Amino acid sequence: MNRIKKFFKYDNVGMLFVLPGFIYMMVFVGFPIIYNFILSIQDVTVQTLRSDVKEFVGFNNYIQLFRQDNVLTLSIWNTLKFTVMSILFQFITGFALALFFNKNFFFAKPVRGLLMMPWMIPVTITALMFKFMFGTDVGIINYLICSIGLISENIDWLTNTATAMPTVIFANIWIGIPFNMILLATGLTTIPQELYESASIDGANKFHTFKEITLPLLKPTIDSVLILGFIYTFKVYDLVYVMTSGGPVNSTQVLSTYSYKLSFDMFRYSQGAAVANILFIILLLVSLLYLRYVYVEEEV
Amino acid sequence: MGTERNLSRRKNILYCAISVLIICILLFPLYWILVTSLKTEKEIFQIPPTFWPKELNLKSYMTQLERGDFNMFRSFRNSIVISVGAMIISIVLAVPASYGVAKFSFKGKKAIILGFLITQMLPVSVLLTPLFIMYNKMHLYNTVWSTIFADATIGIPFSVLVLKNFFASIPDELEEAAYIDGYNRFTTFTKVLIPIAKPGIVVCGVFSFLYAWGDLAYGMTFIIDQQKRPITAGIFNFLGQYGTKWSYLTAFAVVTIIPVALIFIFMQKYIIEGMTSGAVKG
Amino acid sequence: MKRLLTFVIIITMITTLALGCSSEKGEQTADTPKVEDEKSETSQETDDSTTEEDTSGPDGASGNVVIHYYWETEGHQIALNTLIERFNDSQSDITVEAKYIPFADFKKQLSIGASADELPDFVIIDNPDHAAYAAMGIFADITDKFDISTYYEGPVNSCTLDGKLYGVPFGNNCLLLFYNEEMLEAANVEVPTTWDELLDVAKACTRDTVSGFAYSSLQNEEGTFNFLPWVWSAGATAYEINSEGGIKALAMTKELVDSGAMTKEVINWTQGDVMNQFISGNLAMMINGTWQVPTMRSEAPDLKWNVAPPPMDKQQATGLGGENYAVIAGGNEDAAIEFLKFATSKEQSLHMMEAMGYISPDSTVAENQFAGDPIYEAFVDGMNYAYARGPHPEWPSISDAISLAFNEVMTGASTPEDAAVKAQTTIDGILGK
Repeated sequence: MNRIKKFFKYDNVGMLFVLPGFIYMMVFVGFPIIYNFILSIQDVTVQTLRSDVKEFVGFNNYIQLFRQDNVLTLSIWNTLKFTVMSILFQFITGFALALFFNKNFFFAKPVRGLLMMPWMIPVTITALMFKFMFGTDVGIINYLICSIGLISENIDWLTNTATAMPTVIFANIWIGIPFNMILLATGLTTIPQELYESASIDGANKFHTFKEITLPLLKPTIDSVLILGFIYTFKVYDLVYVMTSGGPVNSTQVLSTYSYKLSFDMFRYSQGAAVANILFIILLLVSLLYLRYVYVEEEV
Repeated sequence: MGTERNLSRRKNILYCAISVLIICILLFPLYWILVTSLKTEKEIFQIPPTFWPKELNLKSYMTQLERGDFNMFRSFRNSIVISVGAMIISIVLAVPASYGVAKFSFKGKKAIILGFLITQMLPVSVLLTPLFIMYNKMHLYNTVWSTIFADATIGIPFSVLVLKNFFASIPDELEEAAYIDGYNRFTTFTKVLIPIAKPGIVVCGVFSFLYAWGDLAYGMTFIIDQQKRPITAGIFNFLGQYGTKWSYLTAFAVVTIIPVALIFIFMQKYIIEGMTSGAVKG
Repeated sequence: MKRLLTFVIIITMITTLALGCSSEKGEQTADTPKVEDEKSETSQETDDSTTEEDTSGPDGASGNVVIHYYWETEGHQIALNTLIERFNDSQSDITVEAKYIPFADFKKQLSIGASADELPDFVIIDNPDHAAYAAMGIFADITDKFDISTYYEGPVNSCTLDGKLYGVPFGNNCLLLFYNEEMLEAANVEVPTTWDELLDVAKACTRDTVSGFAYSSLQNEEGTFNFLPWVWSAGATAYEINSEGGIKALAMTKELVDSGAMTKEVINWTQGDVMNQFISGNLAMMINGTWQVPTMRSEAPDLKWNVAPPPMDKQQATGLGGENYAVIAGGNEDAAIEFLKFATSKEQSLHMMEAMGYISPDSTVAENQFAGDPIYEAFVDGMNYAYARGPHPEWPSISDAISLAFNEVMTGASTPEDAAVKAQTTIDGILGK
């Protein structure tokens, strides 16, 4: 017994397992993070990009961004809206599908495999396709809901400031469903079958089994899916850029598209970096909260 | 394995019907891509839209193979090299890392998990310039390695976070038993734990592969020779300054999806089995 | 297995460590102290190119010239490659090679390249961005090194910053009114020449599935390009949105959308999308550019269409588009200039213009370029009242303010007056007023 304890005692050996991957990430992403931070407190624009000395301006870029117009505040708000709504629906639908395809029926496995297909198309094409399908006059969506009589006049999905955001969110939910479904389905396989069997012997109903066995045992997977989903959705760029470029009138402008626009359309490199950093800081805060609440309970 | 081992025949048929319905709804956009690719440019914009091309147009498929500097087969090979490379790096680095995070309690573990998350918190667009500067100094600019290394940075943190749950769900007793059988921590890991975590590893491999497969920004920015660029670069043949050529673009989407779909079908046995064979028996 | 694993781990660690070192070097680059570092590197690069030049003889230009360009159309790529082949065959010292960067990525790639000191030797770029790149300092000053005396003034202006010439116009285009002859006939109306007529004709042609009129109104440079002719026609400049003319132009776009003469979807349509709608028979009239003509002729040979000057308010006006050539500073400048001279010679220029459907910026070439083709002749005529955007180093930001304004008006998010005031505040801030 003592030897077994000793076997588990050298926990710092764990570092050896973790370090290669960790160092790799720090090398390839650590430098960009530092670079971006420094850029955001300098004043780099068209005129100063190539000059030898770059002026440090402290947090002026951040202050100026908040002052010059309301686009930054609007983008933060839009990004939050986009992320929360996307995650909510993706997760619920993905979870429902994962539970459904976890049943042992004939089509379960092949269909689950087929549902991965949307992931094989580059996002740019998916985004273009949705833009096309949600077109006002020639779009198939308007045609379909018009022909079943839900609407009498075509809806201008992507060119109306009120509907553009929900439409982009809809497209993002579609992309995210397989992600949530597959990860949750794989997580379900780690739950020992015997638990369900003994529960059903004890006469527990389905809701009870779900609440008492599935949810708690799946919690680590759920946590990972949610935090990863949150981070990926929060910085989504391609989809929004291709579908609306942040328009109409900034109604779908999110932090990543705004940062891109400042940096590479308007050549205001430092302001673009500052917006990206704001995105970064918000994600950092969310992740810290996540680690605090999730890992306190989960501590192995 | 299912929640209920065996379903009655009626339920089985009912569930199959529901799953077909789900497929129809969720994969409708894919169907629309296919149909659009078979229409003429004029029919695509017809009102009302047609659900099947009136006049079958295969012209858009004929032009896919080679356009200017773009060669479909070569680009496909590049994409495979990049995606497999990124997948291997992700798995080789992430599997041990996730094991370390899940089964050891060393100082700074939380910080390391946060560290992995932090690396995902910047939008891709701002990573491009600093990575470009780095690659330029490391003489990796304009090589496939630049893109492989960059794509792996998406796969690693993802895999670590997903896999750590798998390793954590494996009971400690298994490791103890292995130790009594004469394994040490490394061999326990390679011989006992990895086989058990296989479903998770397969899923992470698949996702790492697909992240790299769908990448456009890294491949376009770090590789300047069209001959070395991934297949996604072909999008720009049909999507540009002068407007979108829908039939060509959708045909391109169909053509790019076929090889990946084939890989999936060919390896389905392994992938599906890997994803669904929960080996943990408590 | 254990040994293999340890081996893999050790190798990975060594590699990451090695990479770590080089990244630290990189990190310094972002800081001020590494200024020297950067300088020495630039000089090193220059050294490299000079040694290359030395090897191939005393009379100057030689070595490799790398061109970045963004034409994705296959015909355009072939035309450029033919031009390059001809140049490479014409002499033995210089080898030119072209690399394609997509239009959507072009500004980004040049910005990143400028930050990393990894630029091509020669670029072909969109002319409204020219001044911004010139201000960035990445273009060589070629004032006195190239003769532009026979070139049209507008295109040359787009390559000029502070009185210095930073490039040479490649080719130009302008916007005209395209109309579907059969639809106008069916509605029994004449081709509109004024704004009021445009509204009437558009409404007369509007059917169930046919919109009367459209032009690309994206919230970006493309939209600005299509919007500004209305401003110029109403007698204002691009920098005076909050003026009688500017507000009138904004009010006109509102009128077009509100009256149903133009579909609101144009705020999501590129010029190519507009063209596709037109040749699919969903549009009676559109504003579009010279470059669409070859595509329209090949894609819709049966469609009966023609072009006319854009309907006007106070004066005839249209937008000048096109690309410029520019030599990168610190690259293989001499060799690039040699290529530039070859490419702009009459024979080669005509070859490119024909393939692209562009109008030559060199008046001696443009004359008789399209003899006997009334459509193209109308475009050549349009060059006489075509206005250039900018040139201003901050043009992208100005353009952004303008495109936001007309998008706000079209979506009904604000009135023409309010949108004009807002845009003007931004523009004045940029101009330093």
